[in-house]
Amino acid sequence: MTTEPSPFDLPGITWQRVSPRLVPARQIAVALTLVVPLLVGVVLAVLVHPAFWVLAGVVAVLWAWIAIVVVRQVRAIGYVEREDDLLIRKGVMFRNLVVVPYGRMQYVEETQGPLARIFGIKSLQLHTAAATTDASIDGLDPAEAARLRDRLASRGEARLAGL
Amino acid sequence: MSARSTAPELEPETGLAWRRMHPVTPVVRGWTVIAVLLFIVLQNSAENLGDLGEAADLARGVGLLWLLGGVAVVLLVVGLYCWVAWRFTRYAIGTDAVHLRKGIVFRQQKQARLDRLQAVDIVQPLLARAFSLAELKLEVAGGAGSGVAIGFLRRAEADALRAELLARAAGVDVAEGEEAPVAPERVLYEVPFGTTFGSVLRSFVTPVLLLLVVGVVVAVVVTSSAAPIFSLLPALFGFGGYVFQRLVSEANFVGAVSPDGIRSRSGLLETRSQTIPPGRVQAIRMRQPLLWRRKDWWRVDVTVAGYVLGTDTKEVSTLLLPVGPRATAFDALWLVLPDLGVEDPLALLATGLDGQGPDGGFTTSPRSARWLDPLTWRRNGYAVTGRCLVIRRGRLTRSLTLVPHERTQSLALQQGPWQRRLGLASVALHVTLGPVQASVHHLASREAARLLDEQDARARSARRAEGPEQWMRRVAPELVEQVEEEAQVDGTAPDGSAPDTVVPEDDAPRSVMPADVAPDVTATPDDAARSADEEFRA
Repeated sequence: MTTEPSPFDLPGITWQRVSPRLVPARQIAVALTLVVPLLVGVVLAVLVHPAFWVLAGVVAVLWAWIAIVVVRQVRAIGYVEREDDLLIRKGVMFRNLVVVPYGRMQYVEETQGPLARIFGIKSLQLHTAAATTDASIDGLDPAEAARLRDRLASRGEARLAGL
Repeated sequence: MSARSTAPELEPETGLAWRRMHPVTPVVRGWTVIAVLLFIVLQNSAENLGDLGEAADLARGVGLLWLLGGVAVVLLVVGLYCWVAWRFTRYAIGTDAVHLRKGIVFRQQKQARLDRLQAVDIVQPLLARAFSLAELKLEVAGGAGSGVAIGFLRRAEADALRAELLARAAGVDVAEGEEAPVAPERVLYEVPFGTTFGSVLRSFVTPVLLLLVVGVVVAVVVTSSAAPIFSLLPALFGFGGYVFQRLVSEANFVGAVSPDGIRSRSGLLETRSQTIPPGRVQAIRMRQPLLWRRKDWWRVDVTVAGYVLGTDTKEVSTLLLPVGPRATAFDALWLVLPDLGVEDPLALLATGLDGQGPDGGFTTSPRSARWLDPLTWRRNGYAVTGRCLVIRRGRLTRSLTLVPHERTQSLALQQGPWQRRLGLASVALHVTLGPVQASVHHLASREAARLLDEQDARARSARRAEGPEQWMRRVAPELVEQVEEEAQVDGTAPDGSAPDTVVPEDDAPRSVMPADVAPDVTATPDDAARSADEEFRA
């Protein structure tokens, strides 16, 4: 145990939050993946052997836990446009903070899946020449995504650097 | 160009002079296919002959005719296809790009921008060596398949073309019909075959093999039958194959320096000669497996953008030194980073290679990291110099990674649940894909946050200080005089003030000792591409 301040709380920075509509979008995505094993567990438990209630129970507990974590995860996502770089923070258990200099961006990718379209949110992913750069922001308001995308593109152009 | 074998066809709209490859190209490229086809035909015919075995001699003669006819037909079809393919493959060198046209049905025209040139390889497979042919491979870091391979050409032609491309990429104008001077080359180190062989034997597979042998001997003694020996055969074959594979790619390694970049040559059967222009190395790593420690041998790998992403590039292309004593490894390091940006680079490197604990300028993991990293937590650490970040890792296999400040793409701070409990965090420096990955594990959280913040600032200021991408332009002013003298000697007068040739040999980096290194071509701060937005879209 330690009393040290978290290295992720940078002084003098107010994080931009993403849209809370990301929470239901992610909840539905989780539900779509977990509903099948849950149903299988229930059906097996009813038809074959009551021991399969354990399977259904495990899935249900996992679902409940993920449902809680998703809320915290979405709250943990944050980004800041600084003068020369973009900071992206995410993760509750495994925390991650990425610093992407504008001049290093190769291109910006805007995506919107079917669920995201229903909830009216978009994702933005930044690509640098390094494949290991994991800089994506989920759950952006479409207007904010467009603004950020154009802003990043113009800033990137102004600060272009080679590899 | 005098060395060119085929006359160029001038295309009026673009002003490009299209050339064909050497006519023997299809044979060299397709000999395996031809061989396999011939083998199949021969085998089929032989079976047919066998069936006819009881028939008369006449039938045998007819069979032989069929066989020869089959071979002829196969050769004709393959030959025709190869000839057409050869007719349709052409290349041209523009002022700022290399163009390649190929394809019979699906035409393809590729362009590789020369200001994006990351490395040039001249590859000679075994058969091509017999014909004294070579293939030129350009890597431009545009994602998979963005590289351009021009081949096969005569070896002399390939050398001249490489010189011309590197000169153009460096910002030196080469007039059409004029030879770019071949940059003089200074060999810095050659790895003796015995050392390479020894290093391969001292890899992890040898102890595994020895264990197997011991196991088999025990089994033989216990069962008192020779049968278990045969179970050793696959292992022996595997071992032999591994050793051969490594030797084929790493043997005869030569490291050299020339004004247009770092040269390395290697290969036992297929030879590869690579040129990495100044400032194209993204990260460098010195590494020592446990079994090399007594010999104090080190291996040096580099990351060059575009390699590994390509489809046909092999791992050897990222090698700067397959194996060598410490002094040679330092030579290889000076090739890339002549100036580490510290007063006593040797002391820093010694601490980085052998040391542990927080001495000698290294910031290491705190004591709490021993729970997560019991073996290496004392070695984990980083040091900052004026030019690069030095990352020390590994207890059994020691490694030291150096990333120039201006080469980091992005940074990340990571913390898992256990790290949070212990007050630790890791920092990752993202560099382009390659064998060298740079991250500092398990720092105290406060240290990690500080490293992230400071490294961000250092990378920013280093990027700003970078020179123009066409590296010869940076040093041009000092060179003009020499160039003009050279040109008068050569009889080729330079038109205008732009330097028309590359640096004479005296200006090749002296890199045996860091203090000895003058501010020369490779010593200038790494290149600056100003725009890179088109890349990595593949």
